[in-house]
Amino acid sequence: MRSRGPLLVILAVGVGLAAAPMVFQMFTRAPLGGQMIEEFRPFMSPARLDAFEGHLTRIGAAVESLHRRGAGLEHPLVEPLATQWPEIDADMTGMLDDIRDNLDNFAAVAALPPFPLFPWFFLAPGLLLAWGAGAGLRRADHDGLPASTRAVLVALGLGLVAAPAVFQMFERAPLGGDMIADFRSLMTEERIQSVQGYFLVIGAAEGALRTEVLEELEADGMRAVDVRNLVDAWPAMAADMAPMIGAMSDNLDNYRAVAALPPFGLFPWFFVIPGLLVAGLALLPPGTATAQKETTP
Amino acid sequence: MSRRAACLLILALLASACGGGGGDDAGGSGAGELRGAFAVVAGACAPDGTRSGSFFRMVQPGGTLEEGPFVANADSPCDDKTWTPLRPGTDGGLVTGDYQPHPEPPFAANDGAAAAIVEPTSFFAVRFAAATNPTDPQTGQAVPAPSVSVDEQGALHGDLSAFGVAWNQQHFNQGAPKPGGARPGLTAGPSGTYDEDTGAYALEWSSQIEGGPFNNFTGVWHLEGTFAPAAE
Repeated sequence: MRSRGPLLVILAVGVGLAAAPMVFQMFTRAPLGGQMIEEFRPFMSPARLDAFEGHLTRIGAAVESLHRRGAGLEHPLVEPLATQWPEIDADMTGMLDDIRDNLDNFAAVAALPPFPLFPWFFLAPGLLLAWGAGAGLRRADHDGLPASTRAVLVALGLGLVAAPAVFQMFERAPLGGDMIADFRSLMTEERIQSVQGYFLVIGAAEGALRTEVLEELEADGMRAVDVRNLVDAWPAMAADMAPMIGAMSDNLDNYRAVAALPPFGLFPWFFVIPGLLVAGLALLPPGTATAQKETTP
Repeated sequence: MSRRAACLLILALLASACGGGGGDDAGGSGAGELRGAFAVVAGACAPDGTRSGSFFRMVQPGGTLEEGPFVANADSPCDDKTWTPLRPGTDGGLVTGDYQPHPEPPFAANDGAAAAIVEPTSFFAVRFAAATNPTDPQTGQAVPAPSVSVDEQGALHGDLSAFGVAWNQQHFNQGAPKPGGARPGLTAGPSGTYDEDTGAYALEWSSQIEGGPFNNFTGVWHLEGTFAPAAE
């Protein structure tokens, strides 16, 4: 009787690969990751981040101008901005820095195959391996592993080994892991609520500057250019900031789903190790295991 | 005929004889669905701090409908910037039994463009526009046309899940209940009062925003004015 051991191992590998998407809830989590990538994409560009930094600079200049003149600071809607601005500026700048540091990481993740396909990269080869091993097991007692089945198993194994290289997973997946780690501090309810609060503080102050303070300053003969610049730019600033806050808020659950997946850096090895194992076992000469068994005392 | 059936028949005859108001199913006290237009009286703030008419407020996350904290809208003409007055739109107000949808496109620059229910209203320098749509633009869910009913005591209730706001290139469902019937957070109403003799009404509801930049904020709507039943 020929050894069924290698085929049983391949069967187990196939079942394991096929089960992985269910175990790690990839069918629900991976599409959410894809949605997050798509919704973050508009904000993950140097030009967009430059624009945000320009907004912060403009707000800072207006606040500094008010402090310098000692004007408008006592207005109940301006005072919160005047006092909180250093904290807001530091936090928002830090957030933009974190995002900018991850532009390459984001690009690498966005270049991976579409997230919704991820579970199928496990399920499809897993089922094929299980089928091949099952077919081999049915015939192993009689004629050995058919050459065609062996070829299929070897090809599947080599395909699994090659897939990470083809999709540059060894380079891209760890970068994705870095991005997930770096965004951990950004993607929390508390942080998003803080940013929502900043928007209210800035927006309320801008409104007060536009409708009351600026007029008073100019009536006093002050050319409050920095304040005027903020007021003039506010519609564009609001149009930039609101969708970004919305994207962060809307993707909180999506981020959590992606963060709950196995570490991105391990993904290539989920293919390479089973692939090497399957190809190696399928390439074992017929009877190898039996011969070894027979020579054992 | 049984005694119980006779009593029900007498009650029905009495209700029929006393019918009035705008209720389609009007009973003795005008109870039933109010199909028609809830004309909106413009909101106004007096120098002494009193208010009249129709308003919008927004509760910050973690707040309460009674105590807030409320979002201050510097574009409000009121001294208390947490109250934003509403002015009637081209239809005069909110229509029940039918939709008043966003135009296409729903935005003019970043301002909401719908002007049927209330005038587009400035909020953080960008105008929000209210509309009711068969498919809620934020959630993509089909929603029924607004409906409001009055009970025997003149209390209002109904379904305003189709009510939504367009602001800054974003859509926010502002219905109560939310599309699908849920009432998350501070979502409540609609409720209010209706005087069938004068048609005067006050309609209030609150709707927690689900998603977007104002996620977990709650819009509070207070409309008041006169109800005009739809023509038969």
